[in-house]
Amino acid sequence: MDLFQNLALGFGVALTPFNLVMAAAGVFLGTLIGALPGVGPASGVALLLPLTFGMPPASGIILLASIYAGSMYGGTITSVLINTPGESASVVTCIDGYQMALQGRAGPALGVAAIGSFVAGTFGVVLLMLMSPLLARWALSFGPPETFALMLLGLTTVTGLTGGHALKGYISMVLGLMLSMVGFDIVSGEARYAFGIPEMMDGLDFVPVAIGLFGLGEVLAGAEAAREMTMLRGRYRLRDVMLSAADWVRSRWAIARGTVLGFFIGVLPGAGPTIASFLAYTLEKKISRRPEEFGRGAIEGVAGPESANNAASAGAMVPMLTLGIPGSATTAVMLGGLMMWGLRPGPLLFEKNPDFVWGLVASLYIANMLLLALNIGFIPLFVRALRVPYPILMTLIIVFCITGAYAQNNKVWDVGQMLVFGVVGYVMRKLHYSPAALVLALVLGPLAERALRQSLILSDAGLLIFFTRPIAAALTLVALAAVAVPVVRSVRQALAARRAPVPVAAPPGD
Amino acid sequence: MRRADQVAGIVLLLSSLGFAAGALQHAYWGPGGPGAAFLPFWLGVTMALLAGGLAVGATRARDPGPGWLPTRRGLWRLGVVLAATVVFVALLRVVGMLPGTVLFLLVLLRGLEGYRWSVALGVALAVAGVNYLVFTAWLRVPFPVGVLGL
Repeated sequence: MDLFQNLALGFGVALTPFNLVMAAAGVFLGTLIGALPGVGPASGVALLLPLTFGMPPASGIILLASIYAGSMYGGTITSVLINTPGESASVVTCIDGYQMALQGRAGPALGVAAIGSFVAGTFGVVLLMLMSPLLARWALSFGPPETFALMLLGLTTVTGLTGGHALKGYISMVLGLMLSMVGFDIVSGEARYAFGIPEMMDGLDFVPVAIGLFGLGEVLAGAEAAREMTMLRGRYRLRDVMLSAADWVRSRWAIARGTVLGFFIGVLPGAGPTIASFLAYTLEKKISRRPEEFGRGAIEGVAGPESANNAASAGAMVPMLTLGIPGSATTAVMLGGLMMWGLRPGPLLFEKNPDFVWGLVASLYIANMLLLALNIGFIPLFVRALRVPYPILMTLIIVFCITGAYAQNNKVWDVGQMLVFGVVGYVMRKLHYSPAALVLALVLGPLAERALRQSLILSDAGLLIFFTRPIAAALTLVALAAVAVPVVRSVRQALAARRAPVPVAAPPGD
Repeated sequence: MRRADQVAGIVLLLSSLGFAAGALQHAYWGPGGPGAAFLPFWLGVTMALLAGGLAVGATRARDPGPGWLPTRRGLWRLGVVLAATVVFVALLRVVGMLPGTVLFLLVLLRGLEGYRWSVALGVALAVAGVNYLVFTAWLRVPFPVGVLGL
C-alpha cells in the first residue's frame, strides 16, 4: 500500500463518529490537563489510561495522543497568564509570555502559541507519516542483538529525562529494570521476587505503577503547599488573540525553526518536548537581531519554544511506534498502554495493525485542527477552568488515581500498589530522581531481557555479539557513549570543584 | 539533600545486594543459555555500584545541597492527605467506593482545606456521581460495595 492509500485507511478509522468524539474529548481534556498546574501530560495520560480499557486500541490511542497534543497547547495558557507552567514543556514560555501579558499583550502571546503549535503539530505529523514507515522497514531487519542494543540505547539516553542528575537517572532506570524482573521468568516459568504472593506472580502491573508515580506522586508534591494563583485579567476574544502583521513577520521564522528543531529533538529517545522547547528558545535568542528583548516580552521567545514542543510531541511518537522505544515520559506511558491493549510496538506494528497506526496519524491531523479552533476561540473557557482552586483539583486527582488503578483488574491490591508507587514518586521528585526513567525501564525490561537472552543463545562469543554486527555495534557504542559523556563531565566538574579555593566564611554581620 | 543521598545510597546498596543474592536462587546459566538469574544478578550488581557511587559522592561533597524536607506546615498537609488516602484504600471494601469517595473528599475539603460544608458536600457528591457514571455506568467496572450496600 502506498502512502495515500494508508492515509485514506487512517482517515476511514479516524472519521468514525466514536473516534471523532475521542479526538475531540482528548484535545479538550489535554488542553485542560496542560493548563492546570500540577498535572503534567504523563500524569494525564496515565490517569486516563483506564478509560481506554473497554475501547478498540485505535480509539484508545486516538484519545491518548489527542490528550498529549492538547496538553502541549494548554500549558501555554498558564505560563502566559499566571507565570506558572502548566507542564514542563511550557516552562520557557513563562519568560517572554508572562512579560507580554504584563504589557497587555496576553492575546497575541496566546495567539502566536496557538498558531505556532498548529503549524508545528501538523508539520510534525507530516514528518511522522513520511519517516515512520521508512524507519519501520529498516528496523524489520533487526535480530535480537540489534533489538537489545536499541533498547540499551533507549534506556541509557534516559539521562535526558533527568534534568542534569545523571547518576540518579541511571539509578531510576536500573530500579525500573529490577522491578520489571518481578514475576514469572519468560523462559523457565519460575517466579522471581514474588515472595509467594499470588498477585506478584504476574509481575507489577504497569497501570497502577504509572498512575502512582505520575498522578499521585505529583499531587503529593503539590499537597505540601496551599497554592495561591494570581491570574492576569484581560480579554481573550477572537480579535484579541489574532496577530498583527508586525507580530506575524517577527514570529513566522521562529515558528519554522522551532518546528524543524523540535521534531528532530523529539525523535531522539529520551529528549522530548521539554528539551526541545529550551533549545528552541536558546536558538531564537542566539540568532535574533534583538537579543536584548528576550526576557522582556519578545514574541519569538513564545513562538519558537511553543512550536518546538508541539513538533517534538509528534516526533516522540516515531521511535515509540517504529522501534518500541519512547521518546518522552508521556510516550513511555502510552507504550505501556499499547502493550496493555495486546499490541507489540515496533516495526511489525505497521504491517500487522495498519488501521491502528494510520488511524492515529490521521487523528493527529484532526486533533491539530480541533486544537487550533479550541485555542483561538475558547481561551476564556480554559481561563475559567484555571479558577478551580488547587485543593479541589488535588482531591479530584487522588480520587481518580484510586478509581483508575482499581478499574483495570477490579482489585484493591492494584490500588495499594498505586499508593506505594505514589509515595515512591513523591520521594523521587523531591530527591531529583526520574519517575519517567523508572517507567520506561519497567516497560522495556521484559522485552530487553528476552532480546538479551536470545542474543546470548545465538552468540558463540558471549557479549561480543553486540560488537560484531554492524547495526548492533553502532547502537551499542552510541549507548556506551551516552553513559560515558555525563560520567566524564561529572568527574571533570568534581575535579574542578576540588581545585577551586575553599570559600572563607563571612564574618558575622556582613 | 546530602544526608538524603547518603541514606538513599546505603538503602539502595543493601537492597541491591539482597536482590543479586535473591537472583542466585535460580539458575544463572542453563544448557540453553542464560538462566532466570542472569539479568537480575547483574542488575543487582549494577545498582550496588551506582548506589555506592551515590553514597560516596554525597559523603565527599562539601556543599550540603538544597533542603528537601517539607516545612512543618507542609509536612502536616502531606501527612493528612496521605493518611486520609491510606485509610480510604484500607476501608474500601468496608465502606464501599462511592460512600468512601464522599467521606474522603469531606475530610480533605472540610477538615484540611476549611471549605464550607455546602461546598465540600457539593463537590464530594458531584465527584462520586461522575465516578459512578464513568466507571460503573459506562465502563461497567464493579466498584467495591460497602456494608451499606452502596
